[in-house]
Amino acid sequence: MLSIKNLHASVEGKEILKGINLEIKAGEVHAIMGPNGSGKSTLSQVLAGNEAFEVTDGEVVMNGENLLELETEERAREGIFLAFQYPVEIPGVSNLQFLRTAVNSMRKHHGEEEMNAAEFMKLAKDVSRQVDLDPAFLKRGVNEGFSGGEKKRNEIMQALLLQPKLAILDETDSGLDIDALKVVADGVNALRSQDRAILMVTHYQRLLNHIVPDYVHVLAGGRIIKSGGRELALELEEKGYGWLGIKDEETADNAAN
Amino acid sequence: MKPAPTLSMAFLHPAGQLLPEPLAALRKQRGTALVDMPLPTRKTENWKYSSKHLKLTDDMAISLPAEGKTGSSLAVPGYKVAFLNGVMMPEASEYPDLSGIRIQSFGDLDDNEASELAQKLDDTLGGSEENGAVQMARLNSARFEDGLLIRLKPGAVLDQPLFIIHETSADASGSAYPRIFVDAGANSQITLIEEYISSGSEPAMVNTVTEVMVGEGANVTSIRLNMEGDNVQHIGATGVLQQRSSRFESHSVGFGGPLRRHDLRVRLEGEGAECKLNGVVVTRDKQHYDNHTSIEHVAPHCNSEETYRNIAADQSHAIFSGRIHIHQDAQKSSADMNNKNLLLSNGAEIDTKPVLEIYADDVKCAHGATIGQLDEISLFYLVSRGIGRREANVLLTMAFINELVEQIPVEAVRETVQGRLNHFFEQTFLEA
Repeated sequence: MLSIKNLHASVEGKEILKGINLEIKAGEVHAIMGPNGSGKSTLSQVLAGNEAFEVTDGEVVMNGENLLELETEERAREGIFLAFQYPVEIPGVSNLQFLRTAVNSMRKHHGEEEMNAAEFMKLAKDVSRQVDLDPAFLKRGVNEGFSGGEKKRNEIMQALLLQPKLAILDETDSGLDIDALKVVADGVNALRSQDRAILMVTHYQRLLNHIVPDYVHVLAGGRIIKSGGRELALELEEKGYGWLGIKDEETADNAAN
Repeated sequence: MKPAPTLSMAFLHPAGQLLPEPLAALRKQRGTALVDMPLPTRKTENWKYSSKHLKLTDDMAISLPAEGKTGSSLAVPGYKVAFLNGVMMPEASEYPDLSGIRIQSFGDLDDNEASELAQKLDDTLGGSEENGAVQMARLNSARFEDGLLIRLKPGAVLDQPLFIIHETSADASGSAYPRIFVDAGANSQITLIEEYISSGSEPAMVNTVTEVMVGEGANVTSIRLNMEGDNVQHIGATGVLQQRSSRFESHSVGFGGPLRRHDLRVRLEGEGAECKLNGVVVTRDKQHYDNHTSIEHVAPHCNSEETYRNIAADQSHAIFSGRIHIHQDAQKSSADMNNKNLLLSNGAEIDTKPVLEIYADDVKCAHGATIGQLDEISLFYLVSRGIGRREANVLLTMAFINELVEQIPVEAVRETVQGRLNHFFEQTFLEA
């Protein structure tokens, strides 16, 4: 489904990704782990098409199509979904209007009829309950005044509504308490299917207790330095990133505690 | 030094025989006083950005004839009064005979009523101390050919909004002088919608004055929509006098033009009076929009709350100047003024100028002004959900003013305005 070859990317002239190679097949769940500053978020942003990042070399092919030639909105319509690490607050645009516009943009692209307000409201209410978000949140501005956990649930809700082919979850576990983590994990697990791939980017392995990946990759210094099964995540949890010769202050601190 | 330019003599000859004698006499007197009036120039502080757009050529002095049909795209439930080139069109107006409420054209007043009105006209527009601010209103006082008098007896409540359409029909060059006078008695209540539209494509000018006397405990809501074409200069003034415990609310939504100028002056003269002034301005191409507001806290314990938002695209220019004057005796005043601005292109310009003059020592007064651009990260968030770039831009731009649009109290007006703004931005982002 997705093939990344020798991907290099930089931001403001500084190279962050230094040759990423990754193959993801439909139905698979991949986890990318790595310390802060390793390039995890950059990889997510580059795949989604954030123009702040410049791709300097390499290729990304999704279902036979050169992803790097597509605009952000075209990538989304082809099935890329990025759950943001820091979802953006947009006061003045209601969550409902935002979600309906997004869903209808997708439907239009696929030659399907657009949903009217009443139809969409029903669907949105159902899905918001699925992620344990009060439907009252639909009426508020996009992410406006949402707590960290509510924002993350709103991201998962969008994924459930948009039904992407590849869902990229950027640090979706950060800032969640254990109950919220379970809700989010249930949402992600509901997304798992034979024709969909999931790419989870995370610093810690605790999310992987709830969403069990098929493959785990360790990203450091802009390259994938080790790949394995889910046992790799457990090993990282136990030994810290230092075990792979990577310096990571945060992990070191955690291990010390 | 060159003497300041004055108004061409061609402007000093009002047309029309519609007015009752006392009003005609007042108009004549005001006209005589205009002879020496210096015109605004670049050096007139209140007109420094706009004087160059003011075109007062002799062909502009011709009164546009009040002939033809009126039409408006705004369909709202309520009562309706239509004016064409400043003259009321009874056949296009619909309002019932309500007890305690008079809605009448100036032309239909008897001499006693006209004389009573003549004594009150111009009272809300202030004296000479800010000559520049209301200068052009003086031209209206010398030229109005008709007008609308709305008088509410104490306690009278207009049960539906009164929709006043002012159409400028510009099949030839010329000018029109719409005038409205509202006298809201104690504890009365009314919602007015003023819509300014135009037809025809010749260069024209519309010069308006609306005066509102808000009696003790009365409640007046005013919605003002500027929708004229790019051939029409609009120079308008609204003056409001508020008595004790009264409330005045203004919601204005303006689309740009070759020159759009509105002066809104509110005097809080009675204790406990409060006003809320909301304004939205959108401009594109080479349009120009200039809003000047002035709130005078004369009496103690009054509240004012003002929120204006400008959005300028292309090479357009929007201006907000907000003055709050708290008089020495106006203790316990509370005034809050906020102006946020959004630039949609590098070529657009927005100027904002808060002016606070505070002579009382026990007051709460806050003001803030910002100028910014659309947020790139918000845009990325929207397009990453498959929303097209143009639609995302429109959503974000609307988001900047939604808070104000949503406060427009008449649902049908609110929805129409939302539709018009959406359309405006869809055109603005056509190339995006």
